[in-house]
Amino acid sequence: MTTCADFRQFVTAYVDGEIVGEDRGVLESHFATCPACRRLLDDERAMSALLHSSHQAPEAPSALRERVHTLLSPKRILRPVPWLVLAVFVVGVALTGAFLARGRASSNVPGETSELATLAADTHLRYSRGQLPLEVRTERPQQLSSFFSGRVPFHLTIPDYQVGPGEQKFYRLEGGRLVSFHNDYAAYVAYRMDTEPVSLLVTTAAHVPPRRAEAVRSGRLTFYIEAVAGLQVITWSDKGLTYALASDVAVSGERSCMVCHGSPEERERVRGFPGRPHA
Amino acid sequence: MVDEPVDEEFRREAVACLAGLYGFALSLCHDRSIAEDLVQEAYLRALSARRKAAPHENLRSWLFAILHNVWRNEVRRRRPAPLEDAPSSSLIAKESDPEDALSRLETDERVRRAVTLLPEAFREVILLRCVEGFSYHELAIILGCPAGTVMSRLARARALLRRSLTVRAERHGAA
Repeated sequence: MTTCADFRQFVTAYVDGEIVGEDRGVLESHFATCPACRRLLDDERAMSALLHSSHQAPEAPSALRERVHTLLSPKRILRPVPWLVLAVFVVGVALTGAFLARGRASSNVPGETSELATLAADTHLRYSRGQLPLEVRTERPQQLSSFFSGRVPFHLTIPDYQVGPGEQKFYRLEGGRLVSFHNDYAAYVAYRMDTEPVSLLVTTAAHVPPRRAEAVRSGRLTFYIEAVAGLQVITWSDKGLTYALASDVAVSGERSCMVCHGSPEERERVRGFPGRPHA
Repeated sequence: MVDEPVDEEFRREAVACLAGLYGFALSLCHDRSIAEDLVQEAYLRALSARRKAAPHENLRSWLFAILHNVWRNEVRRRRPAPLEDAPSSSLIAKESDPEDALSRLETDERVRRAVTLLPEAFREVILLRCVEGFSYHELAIILGCPAGTVMSRLARARALLRRSLTVRAERHGAA
């Protein structure tokens, strides 16, 4: 370093304490004899002090603090769940036959929207708007199952969607990601039906039956159908897991199940949805 | 499947980073909800990788690096352009001396505003250095760039801030 320009390029690092040893001594000797560089040094120190004094890390929201404390709890244990059938398939198997035959158990009980339904709607909207990236983009159920393995506190197997000869898939898997819910991760699975997204959340959090929902019973399962933020959200619980399915499907009750799981003729009867496309 | 227990040292050090991580996340995305997601994501990834990555030498910079990576590689590219001209309302002013409270608040706000308007690469390095106090070596790890790049970014960022604050002060004086 021989000129002021040489010294000045290290002023910031000097103020930050990053210049040590002999180099520091050389710089200090120059500052002691060069008023112009000394002024620059003083300005740099003032800038550092100003930046530090004008900023302070904001306090984290209490909900976030609680989630982090729970995550880091020494007692955090992930519960084993021996099996899981993806919610869409549960709906499919349970509803297409028995559900339609048994019909409605109760309906339109006034009350609150469920917390999970709200999260499902919010997640669905954020994904639809491109604000929520998928961590894995795949149409392969096995690949998505592998992604969730070890990341969510349960074993999740995404089943493959089989179609009959000459049929095209009516909805397809797009991928998934993790979302936060009740101090842990829930699995978010994105499907697309024609051009419309369909969102599924799976969590171990206990299901709190929403009071403002259409309740539909099928066998041992009860499905709650709510309107949240202009979306239709179906929530249910089965074998220790809770599911929420959000979509723009604007049909009521069991008719909504026909959109994905009914026959082509049944779907054609559901207003606004075409029948299953044939190859 | 049972998660490995979290040892007390890890827990204590990680919790101590929470406010800083949240502030850094807010400065990146300007969205409280996304910032919370970023922070939680950083903790979860740290928990799942802590046995492999041996982060205990510098857990704090490791957590910041994870958060920065999640933001840069997975979140930023998927969301609309950040509100670069938004006031940094997320950054809270320190308590002021009662005698010159107004003047100090105005100065602090001008500085925070100037920092907010910096390009992201400069803003993040300024905040991590001047607010969080990371060394250049730590900054290089967090930001994934050479220490020389850290030094040049800091120098350029401060030069931009000096210019910005001088212009603002002149405008303010002329008004």
